[in-house]
Amino acid sequence: MLRMIDVSVNYGHFRALKKISLEVNEGEMVALLGANGAGKSTIFQTISGLIKPAGGAIEFMGKRIDGLPPDQIVRLGVSQCPEGRHLFPQMSVYKNLILGAYVRSADRKGTAETLQEIYKLFPILEEKKNDPAGSLSGGQQQMLAIGRALMSRPRLLLLDEPSLGLSPLVTKEVFRVVKEINRAGTMVLLAEQNANVALRLVGRGYVIENGEIVLEDSSRGLLSNAQVKKAYIGA
Amino acid sequence: MDLFLQQIINGLTTGSIYCLVALGLTLVYGVMHLPNFAHGSLYMMGAFITLTLIKSSGLNYWLAMLASAVALAAIGIAAERLVFHPLRNAPHANNLIAAVGLLLFLEGLAHVIWGPEFWQLPTPYDRVVQFLGLTITQQRLFIVAATLVLLAGLYLFLKKTLVGASIEAMSQDRKGASLVGIKVSRVSMLTFAIATGLAAVAASLAGPINLVYPSMGHIVILKAFVIIVLGGMGSLPGAVLGGYILGLAESMGATYISMAYKDLIAFAILVLILSLRPTGLLSGGVK
Ligand SMILES: Nc1ncnc2c1ncn2[C@@H]1O[C@H](COP(=O)(O)OP(=O)(O)OP(=O)(O)O)[C@@H](O)[C@H]1O
Ligand SMILES: [Mg+2]
Repeated sequence: MLRMIDVSVNYGHFRALKKISLEVNEGEMVALLGANGAGKSTIFQTISGLIKPAGGAIEFMGKRIDGLPPDQIVRLGVSQCPEGRHLFPQMSVYKNLILGAYVRSADRKGTAETLQEIYKLFPILEEKKNDPAGSLSGGQQQMLAIGRALMSRPRLLLLDEPSLGLSPLVTKEVFRVVKEINRAGTMVLLAEQNANVALRLVGRGYVIENGEIVLEDSSRGLLSNAQVKKAYIGA
Repeated sequence: MDLFLQQIINGLTTGSIYCLVALGLTLVYGVMHLPNFAHGSLYMMGAFITLTLIKSSGLNYWLAMLASAVALAAIGIAAERLVFHPLRNAPHANNLIAAVGLLLFLEGLAHVIWGPEFWQLPTPYDRVVQFLGLTITQQRLFIVAATLVLLAGLYLFLKKTLVGASIEAMSQDRKGASLVGIKVSRVSMLTFAIATGLAAVAASLAGPINLVYPSMGHIVILKAFVIIVLGGMGSLPGAVLGGYILGLAESMGATYISMAYKDLIAFAILVLILSLRPTGLLSGGVK
């Protein structure tokens, strides 16, 4: 399980996260809701080791991971599918996926197996395996980004706004697969602005505003919360 | 016709040297976004180390070149660690200043160790051969052949190995590369080592036909910058293409226009191509 305890992050003089505490337990899928600039991506980057926290602690499977370099965090089983996807645009779909397994490159057989699993989850990726990642449609790129993140066989998947820029239909397809991944035992922390869609998928969620967690509840509780309805569902 | 063919060969020779230097420069730029002004001085160091190994230890040309490439790779790694790595989060201008500082330092060092004289690098390939009715020194053929082998090797390394792919990945998306677990500093060091190693080989190849002296890197690095702007910053095929275009244009220009304007041609081509294609011929990350 993942546990953040009172984590604070500064960008220069600007305090982007203020004592964030949250957890994702074994088997769970948890939503992180917040408007533009609330701090969702900052939380993800901090968990992945791209940003060092100014205070607090992050534990994964009982081990402190704050302060570790990004590659070791991936090795421990935390993989991020970042906002904006950050694919390798001129490389083929296949090579993007293979690089997703970079930390376990010695395990050739296991990598080949995981590759087949990803192709099963997203058949379009197998069809387009020789095309450059940059030539795919937005939805296909999102699938590739998720596939790449799964190639390291993470125990926890951090998914940052996967629905961004996707049509409702494609979003639905992507989330169907995410649900499947979670059912197979991978913990998922899902950042979304689109609370309506996200909350139908997860067990519980956190609402973050201006770098602080302001609400934490089951998805049912959040869906019926007037404040959430007003701010994130538009009802 | 013979004169024309002769100039083609000369152009390919100079183009090969340009290629090797520009490839290193564009690799470092692609991975670290660093226009390494010191690359020309590292090239110069490569020539002097080869020269010293041949003159003082009597090493043969091949071994001396190889040893020089290894030494320069080590110097490249040291430069990355000691100069550029500490500045990785600093404003961009600091990196530029550091690169210029390194350039001045290396040139000063060369003056102290080897003095300001001009040297000729001895080569075992100093005879002339008849080839297609032309008279060419073996060294020129050797330069072209060695470059082609190195290009093929570099291509296979980048395309067929995972380590090579990690370099390409870093140049195409740094954050994406970190998130799959590629170590930024390892790739940076490796990239520097490859770039400076190639520069040492280029300098050792060029040494016998040009001269070896402390400021020998100036004009080469200027041309290499022209080439990578021409080819598209960070593009490897662009650097190869640009290197040969420039080499050929210069040798043709020197023959058919005027020897005096040889070095000007590079900049004329630069202005021409950039006004037609402002992003360079083949822009984009490492391809
Ligand atoms: N590199 C940075 N330097 C300075 N400030 C930053 C940086 N990155 C983010 N911020 C600021 O930190 C705050 C949180 O940003 P963050 O990207 O984490 O928000 P977010 O919840 O992911 O928003 P979005 O939904 O738009 O992706 C914002 O106010 C943002 O302006
Ligand atoms: Mg964000």
